[in-house]
Amino acid sequence: GDALLPAPQNISILSTNMKHFLTWSPVIVQGATVRYSVEFQGEYEREYANGSWIPVSECSSTTATVCNLTEDISATVAYKLRVRAELGAASSPWGTMKGFFTRATTSLTPPVLRVLADGYHLLVELAAMGPTFHFLVLYWRKGQESKVQQKVMREVSSVVHLDTMEAGAEYCVKAQAHVEAINRSSSFSPTQCVRAQGDKSMWL
Amino acid sequence: TAGDKIFHFGACRVSMSMTEIRASFTAIKANIQSRDSIRTLSILSHPHSLHKVKSSDRCCITHHLFTFYVDKVFKHCRTEDSFVNRKISSIANSFLSARRKLGQCREQNNCVCGEESMEKFKQILANYEGLNVTSAAMKSLGELDIFLDWME
Repeated sequence: GDALLPAPQNISILSTNMKHFLTWSPVIVQGATVRYSVEFQGEYEREYANGSWIPVSECSSTTATVCNLTEDISATVAYKLRVRAELGAASSPWGTMKGFFTRATTSLTPPVLRVLADGYHLLVELAAMGPTFHFLVLYWRKGQESKVQQKVMREVSSVVHLDTMEAGAEYCVKAQAHVEAINRSSSFSPTQCVRAQGDKSMWL
Repeated sequence: TAGDKIFHFGACRVSMSMTEIRASFTAIKANIQSRDSIRTLSILSHPHSLHKVKSSDRCCITHHLFTFYVDKVFKHCRTEDSFVNRKISSIANSFLSARRKLGQCREQNNCVCGEESMEKFKQILANYEGLNVTSAAMKSLGELDIFLDWME
């Protein structure tokens, strides 16, 4: 019966850039395929819905030992998470992750950016990080570090024009990601510098 | 659009994941509204629209409406559909988080409800109490976009 099937252990959540994955150690039963089911409980369920738990259908009777909870953990409150093992009709006790998880603790990595010089135009391209992100882009002419300019970018669907550069001058750019929902920012990306094309009149 | 927005309710400034709330609601709106058989009556808009609330009362009325949904509505909307339940949980927890922020500000700024607005909120409660609880809860949840539109 159930007593033979132990609860999953080492239950933890990996959360990076507002994407949250629950993981656990497999329950080994020789010659059998063990399946797992995951449930979550937000602060609302604890305080107003009799401590009810909500199953995650994508992670019901799954053989995987990881479950993507990004869509479900979409509020900045404390969540409890649990998983149990299942073998045929038998199921283990619930294994509940120690403590609570709030998305405010997600780890934020610096954005990936590409800086381009297109003639005299300083352009930047940022890799999207998800709907809850926007970006602070800082740019300056090399040697004029005191005159840093900034641009807040909410959409990162394409290349963005930052500035028109002076002929032959070098310009530098760095960026950080910000998540308003948790009011936190990543560290800055490494600085990238590009040089504007030389002055054409010099060659006439 | 960015995930989060800053809302100004009278003197209070609250950041809310409106995009996430709207996405969750849009995903279940048709399902929820199909469960509402009483089409002739509105909880939030009868007899007067929310848009008649004075801006100075927005802070207090918004807090009342968050409380209305958290305390009264969501708990009676549990369905047999796991997907719908997950989205309701997402909205409920977002409302809980937003209400907490608004509640803190409300205390600091002593946001009070004017008489007219309080009358409006009492009318909403009367509309709600006038139906059996499950019908009232489902109808209120189905009208959530009226509240979201008004906030925006």
